[in-house]
Amino acid sequence: MQKFTTDVIIGLEIHAELKTKTKLFCACPTQGSGEPNSRTCATCLGMPGSKPVLNRKAVEHALRVCLALDSGIAKEMVFSRKSYFYPDMSKNYQITQYELPIGTGGSLKLESGKTVSMKRVHLEEDPASLVHPAGVRESSYVLVDYNRSGQPLIEMVTEPEMHSPEEARDFLKQLITVLDYLGVFDSSAIIKADANVSIRESHYTRVEIKNITGFKEIERALGYEVARQREEVREGKAVAQETRSWDSEKGATFSLRKKETEDDYGYIIDPDLVPITIDREYVDGLRSSLPELAQDKLKKFRGQHGIEETTARVLAKDKALAAMYEAVSGEVNPQLAANWVRRELPRVLNYYKKSLGESGITPMHMISLLKLIEQKRITEKTGQRLIEKLGESAFDVEEYVTKEGLGVISDSSLVEQWCREAIKEAPGAAEEYRKGNEKSFNFLVGQVMRKAKGKADPQAVNGVLKGLLRR
Amino acid sequence: MSILDEVRSGKEDIVEYAEECMQKAKGIDREYRYFTAIAEESAIGQAREIKKNFQKYRGKRLLGVMVSAKDAICVKGVESCAGSRILKGYRPLFDATVIERVKREGGIVIGKTSQDEFGFGSFSVNVGLGFPIPLNPFDRGRSCGGSSGGAAGLARKADFPHIALGESTGGSIAAPSSFCGVFGLTPTYGKVSRYGLIDYGNSLDKIGSIGKSVEEVALLQGTIEGHDPKDSTSLSHPHEGYKELKRNVKGMRIGVIKEAFSDAVEKDVQKGVRSGIARLEEEGAVVEEVSLEFPIRYSLATYYLLAMSESSTNLARYCGMRYGQAGELKGNFNEYFSEVRSKHFGEEAKRRIILGTFARMSGFRDAYYIKAAKVRTLIIRHYRKAFGKYDALASPSTPLLPPKFTDIEKLTPLQHYMIDVPVVGPNLAGLPHLNVPVGMEKGLPVGMLLIGDHLQERKLLEMGMVFDGE
Ligand SMILES: [Zn+2]
Repeated sequence: MQKFTTDVIIGLEIHAELKTKTKLFCACPTQGSGEPNSRTCATCLGMPGSKPVLNRKAVEHALRVCLALDSGIAKEMVFSRKSYFYPDMSKNYQITQYELPIGTGGSLKLESGKTVSMKRVHLEEDPASLVHPAGVRESSYVLVDYNRSGQPLIEMVTEPEMHSPEEARDFLKQLITVLDYLGVFDSSAIIKADANVSIRESHYTRVEIKNITGFKEIERALGYEVARQREEVREGKAVAQETRSWDSEKGATFSLRKKETEDDYGYIIDPDLVPITIDREYVDGLRSSLPELAQDKLKKFRGQHGIEETTARVLAKDKALAAMYEAVSGEVNPQLAANWVRRELPRVLNYYKKSLGESGITPMHMISLLKLIEQKRITEKTGQRLIEKLGESAFDVEEYVTKEGLGVISDSSLVEQWCREAIKEAPGAAEEYRKGNEKSFNFLVGQVMRKAKGKADPQAVNGVLKGLLRR
Repeated sequence: MSILDEVRSGKEDIVEYAEECMQKAKGIDREYRYFTAIAEESAIGQAREIKKNFQKYRGKRLLGVMVSAKDAICVKGVESCAGSRILKGYRPLFDATVIERVKREGGIVIGKTSQDEFGFGSFSVNVGLGFPIPLNPFDRGRSCGGSSGGAAGLARKADFPHIALGESTGGSIAAPSSFCGVFGLTPTYGKVSRYGLIDYGNSLDKIGSIGKSVEEVALLQGTIEGHDPKDSTSLSHPHEGYKELKRNVKGMRIGVIKEAFSDAVEKDVQKGVRSGIARLEEEGAVVEEVSLEFPIRYSLATYYLLAMSESSTNLARYCGMRYGQAGELKGNFNEYFSEVRSKHFGEEAKRRIILGTFARMSGFRDAYYIKAAKVRTLIIRHYRKAFGKYDALASPSTPLLPPKFTDIEKLTPLQHYMIDVPVVGPNLAGLPHLNVPVGMEKGLPVGMLLIGDHLQERKLLEMGMVFDGE
């Protein structure tokens, strides 16, 4: 038996919906009406006489994923029929890949720097969805919605190389980032994972957990499962080789079925789909047009721009923020750009609950805003107020600053007047400062800025205040 | 076809003519039971539409020709069951590509013809539960062959302009054509779109044409063939049309398959086919005996393993949801599916589901399904080698004269499968083949099988013309 060096062994099987306009084997749209069974045709309903025709865009997407994961690419596209009876199956077999997956091997690097090996990548169709009108356990019948039937799914299987729930979470996070960067996956779409978990104490008896949605859930589910298995052993029970399901609401896994033998799906090659040769030149073309991925971006932000590690990571792993940062840092100081794109921008987006795309804030807005700050034509305070306003709706920043008179007030007599007033209104604070209390000085600066409505140059205020207080 | 000329010139009212044809078809059906569904309403509707837009249809190649479709071929709005009770009540929402092409060329679809359930048979006696068995046009106590039995019988009996659409997976056009004394062409795999064909074995299924003459067969074949983007296995080869066919045998090299004349082949059949070969020789063909031991020995087992493996997955979708027969909603889904399937599939369908599922289960898959796929490649290689030397291969289409129903009852399933020996090879290899009626023995027709290389349909038809009008 293989020697494991750790106490927990985890392998993942991840299913992600690929972003295509039409389904995998028919021309039905993947997006649109939510009305049940409105996006269906003879093929995705499994009507007698219908035939599948492969969606080339889905193949292209899958190839890009293989390239990004550095998986070996098959010479031809071959599909198989995986047979089993279930009410969500339009044909009672699923068109998937078996002997010849599109991708074999490969790896993905975690945030920790560790590399997880991939076993395979393959393309398959999604079954229909089952609707339980009165809840899963209570309903006496189910309804079937075939809108999902035939949606393209990519399945990515890892080697059992993760050793903690945190690592599994890290893996899924990194994978989502890659898929997002490739533009093959809609980050609002659902990503599902099945996990194999085993612990040393049970001599690595394999338990499969199905139905885990999203990277936050995976850590919870696996954390629960590892604890459960350890508890079983502690109580002197044997951990059963079985398939369990994750119930997110209850925060627990429950047994679906015991598994003494491997499932038998009676795979045959799907004779309705002729093998399609994957042209090498085509793959090379895809490889050369592959976008820079998060790992490359991180390296670039750190090395070339000298951005500190945490900020660089936050920027690199979000495709939209990274693109914004790259555009802005070409025009203004990268350090300033990084700080604003990392902190101020997400703060505003969070507040309005908008994505960057929805907000309408473009690199142009950010560049003119940060240039004004860089040139000390507005204060950072004013900048913060402006970006908050931008989050609401877009406008021309320069024009607005001029029109509203938001520019830095550099009239020294005005600044001096505000400073004198502040000292006069808070003699106690002035006294405290003279005794050496720095906090009191900050209070006085704050008072001056309030009078200036944030527009006074903080450095000028500092200088004037200090001069006045020294007397 | 003088009545056809009158219809085509507009002298004869096409609606009245269609009504007359339907009456005749119904009369034949009462006696011989060739239809699973007579599509009178939609046929007359089509005739009316042609009448209304006569200019649009003038000169179309099938104008006024009545076309029947094997039940497995979907016709929009007409009950299409592939001869199975489990699909009873299913009215497709779309036309099969072949039907679409027939209608576009002015052909009138008169109905669906009877067949063995899903094509599972050679005598049309394995009809689905509740379907009548079609009767031989020469002797109603005998089989008209299968699985396209209704198609071949109707092609023989129709006393109006008619051509039949049949379908062959392992010989289902050649065998019934032989038993009914008509020409039946099974084209190269992929030459005719399978879109809208209710699947038996997808890597083997071929839609073809059955008629009284080579001309009729070529007319329909020329209409239905050609690439179809809706069927991924359809060939990109452009469609030929088969215009200006002429008798062409002189100098053709014909290999007579030695192993196809074994003792298992009835003497009367051997005699009939030999006389057919002699006719070809008289016309100038160069005839030689050729040994094709490997395909003849291994085709049957290979064919049944692959066809059953595929069909067992194809039949999985029939579970009482969405279309066809449904049951009472009770128990869990497994119990429900099993109930519907147990009740409505016939015995042969169940046998093939069980055998086919077995052949692809892990542990047996390598020994059966995978091995059969490999042997198939070898079989194709043997045929290709023969076509390096010959223009066509010849053999009997079936080893026997149309048998009596009472004799068929005595056959074991294996003996039943053995009937296919002469025809499974070319079906497995996707080769075009033509049944040619070569004469009568004891008042029953004998059929000779001419097999061509891939895409050589024209050659077969031009050779077959020697037997036209006999
Ligand atoms: Zn569809």
